[in-house]
Amino acid sequence: MSHHREAHLLRPWIAVAIVVAIAVLLHQTIGRYFGDYVERIAIDAGIAVILAVSLNIVNGYTGQFSIGHAAFYAIGGYTAGLFTYYGSLLLWNHTSAVPGLIPWNIDINLALFHLRFTTTWGPNYLIQQQLFVGSIIVGGLVSATAGWLVGLPSLRLRGDYLAIVTLGFGEILRVLLQQTNSQLYTKAELHDATFQQLFPPPVGGALGFINIPKVTTLFWVVLFAGVTLIVAWRLKRSTFGRSMIAIRENEIAAEAMGVNITRLKVWAFVFAAFFAGIAGALYAHEPGTQISPSDGSFLRSFDIVIMVVLGGLGSISGAAIAAVLLTVANEWLRGPTHVWHVLLVLLIVRLIVWPEGRLKSAIWWLSAIIAIELARWLAIKWGIDLGEYRMIIYALTLISMMILRPDGLFGTAEITDLFSRRRAIGEQPRGFEVMT
Amino acid sequence: MSLPLLSIQNLGISFGGLKAVTDFCLTLHHGDLQGLIGPNGAGKTTCFNLLTGVYCADTGEMSLAGRLINRLKPYQITAAGMARTFQNIRLFHELTVLENVKVACHLHTHQSLASAIFRTRRAQYDERAIDTRSRLILDRFGLLDRADAPATSLPYGDQRRLEIARALATNPKVLLLDEPAAGMNPQEKIELTKLIAFIRKEFNVAVLLIEHDMKLVMSICECITVLDHGETIAQGCAEDVQANPEVIEAYLGESA
Repeated sequence: MSHHREAHLLRPWIAVAIVVAIAVLLHQTIGRYFGDYVERIAIDAGIAVILAVSLNIVNGYTGQFSIGHAAFYAIGGYTAGLFTYYGSLLLWNHTSAVPGLIPWNIDINLALFHLRFTTTWGPNYLIQQQLFVGSIIVGGLVSATAGWLVGLPSLRLRGDYLAIVTLGFGEILRVLLQQTNSQLYTKAELHDATFQQLFPPPVGGALGFINIPKVTTLFWVVLFAGVTLIVAWRLKRSTFGRSMIAIRENEIAAEAMGVNITRLKVWAFVFAAFFAGIAGALYAHEPGTQISPSDGSFLRSFDIVIMVVLGGLGSISGAAIAAVLLTVANEWLRGPTHVWHVLLVLLIVRLIVWPEGRLKSAIWWLSAIIAIELARWLAIKWGIDLGEYRMIIYALTLISMMILRPDGLFGTAEITDLFSRRRAIGEQPRGFEVMT
Repeated sequence: MSLPLLSIQNLGISFGGLKAVTDFCLTLHHGDLQGLIGPNGAGKTTCFNLLTGVYCADTGEMSLAGRLINRLKPYQITAAGMARTFQNIRLFHELTVLENVKVACHLHTHQSLASAIFRTRRAQYDERAIDTRSRLILDRFGLLDRADAPATSLPYGDQRRLEIARALATNPKVLLLDEPAAGMNPQEKIELTKLIAFIRKEFNVAVLLIEHDMKLVMSICECITVLDHGETIAQGCAEDVQANPEVIEAYLGESA
C-alpha cells in the first residue's frame, strides 16, 4: 500500500503542462482555420469562463450571493490597462501593440505534420509581452485586494444583504471611473504631473480607456482560463473547498464543526476577485474592444450570475460550459438564421431536458429538428429575421431552464462524476493502517 | 479529585426582557455522562448554544480543560475540544456521508491554502490522512458502506448517527448531544444507548445529553440537571431527581 501514500511531486504540474499545450494548439489553429471572427468569439468565451468559474467560488461554493463581480473585472482591467498604456508610453513612446504570441512563432502544418520555428523577434517585442503578463498579475492582485477590503466587513451579512452591498460597490466603482480624467496624459504630461494630479488616474472617464495596447491573444486567454479551472478544481477538492461547500449547506453546523466561516468566506471572495481581475485585464487588452466604466456595472455582473446559475451552482464544469454556450449563443444568434442556431438551441434544450433511453432520445432529436426546421421555414416564408429576436430566444431559454431544471445544467455535479460514479462501485476503500 | 473537564459557573443570558437561562452551573469530569432535562421551552438548547458559543453569555464563566472559553467563537470552542449535534439534524445535505465527516477533520488540517492549490507533498499527505481518518470513524459507526452516498439518502436513524460520527471527527473532549433519540422508535433507542456507551469507551469523551425520553435519561445518566424556565431546579442522581417535588411539579403541573 505504500505507493498509495507517496506524495507525487510532478503530478500537480502535468495539468498545467496540458493547459499550456492546449493554449498553444488553439492559438495556432483557431484563427488560421476558422478566421478572426471565430477567434474573437473564442477569446470572449475564454474570458467568460474565467469570470463564471471565479464567481462560482463565491456563489457556488460558499453559497453567498454576490452580484458585483463585474466590479472586480473592471478593477483588474483598468489597473492592467494603466500599467501597459503608460508603461508602453514611457518605454517606447507609443502604445500600439506588437502582434504575436511568443518570441518565436511555432508554425504547425497539420497537413505535412512538421513543425517550423520562425523567430519574429522585434526590438521591444519580448518586453511588451512581459509588461502585459505582469500587468495581468498586478490587475489580479489589485482586484483581490479590493475583494478583501469589500469582503471583510460585508461577509458578516448574508443573502440579500450581501447582494445589496456588492451591487452598491459595483455602482460606486462605475461612477468613480466615470469621474476620472477623460483626457489621457501624453508622455510629457506624465513626466510633469504632480502626485496629486495622478489621483484620480487619467483612465479616460465616461468614454472608456482608449488606446490600450491590444495584445491579448487566444494563447493568454486559454492559459489563464485553464489556470482558473485548475485552481477552482483543486480548491473544491481540498479540505478548504469542502469546508466552503459546508458553509453553503449549513453555516451553523459548519461553524460548529470547527470551520472558521468568516475566514473562508473572505478567502472565497479574494480568490474570485483575483481571477475576475485577470479576466478584466485580458478584456482590456482584447483587440476590437474598449474597456469602459459600464463594464463594471451590474448588467455585466448579472450576465456572470446567469452563467453560474445556468451551469449549476457549485459545478465548475457547469459554469465553464454555460459560459461558453451563452457567449457563443449570444454571438451566433446575432447573425441571420443559420444551421448553427438550430444545433445550438438543440444542444441547450437537450442538456435541459435530458430524456432517458435510446428510443425516446431518438424521437426527441427527430421532433426537435423538425420543429426547429419548421420554425426556420416559416420565418423565411414570412420574412422574419430570427436574429432580431435573439434576446427573446435567449430569455426564453433561460426561463425554461429555470422552470425545467432549477439546479442548472449540472446541479452540483462535475463532468468527471459521469465517469467516476461507475468506477466507484467496484472500488474498495483504501487502507486503514494510518491512524492519526 | 481531578480537575473538572468542563466547569460552568452561573451562566446566564436574557433575550430582551426574557431570562432564558439563569445561574446555570455544571461540572463535567473525564468520562462522565450527564443528562440535561426539562419541559419544553425550559432553556436546554439555549444552554447548548451558550456552551458552544452560538450565543454569548451575559453572565457567568465556562472553562474547558482549564481554559476559559467564554468569549470564543463556535469554531474556536470546537477546536478547544467541545463538539455538538443538533436537535434538528444539520447535516451537509449535498455532500456525501464521507465528506460530511471530512469537513469535521478540517480543524486538524496541516496544510495551508497555498499548498492545497499547488498540491504540495504536505497537502497530498494531509488529504490522505483526512480520508483515512474519516473512513475509520465511519467504519466504527457502521456507515462505511454508505460512504459515497449523499447524506440525505441515509435513513433517519443513520443520519443521527452520522451527526454523532461527524462531531467525534473533530476529536472532542466533551460531546454535547441535543435530543439524539428524538423521532426514534424503541428499538433504535436501545441501539442509541449502546452507541453512547460505545463512544464513551472508544473515543474517551465526556457526554452531556439533552433528552426528552425520561426512561432513557434515567437509565444511563449518572447525574441529571433539571431546568425549568431557565432555572436549575434540581441536580443529582436519577433517584434524587425523580423524588424531587419541584421536578414533579414542573413536569406534571400542580403538585399532587
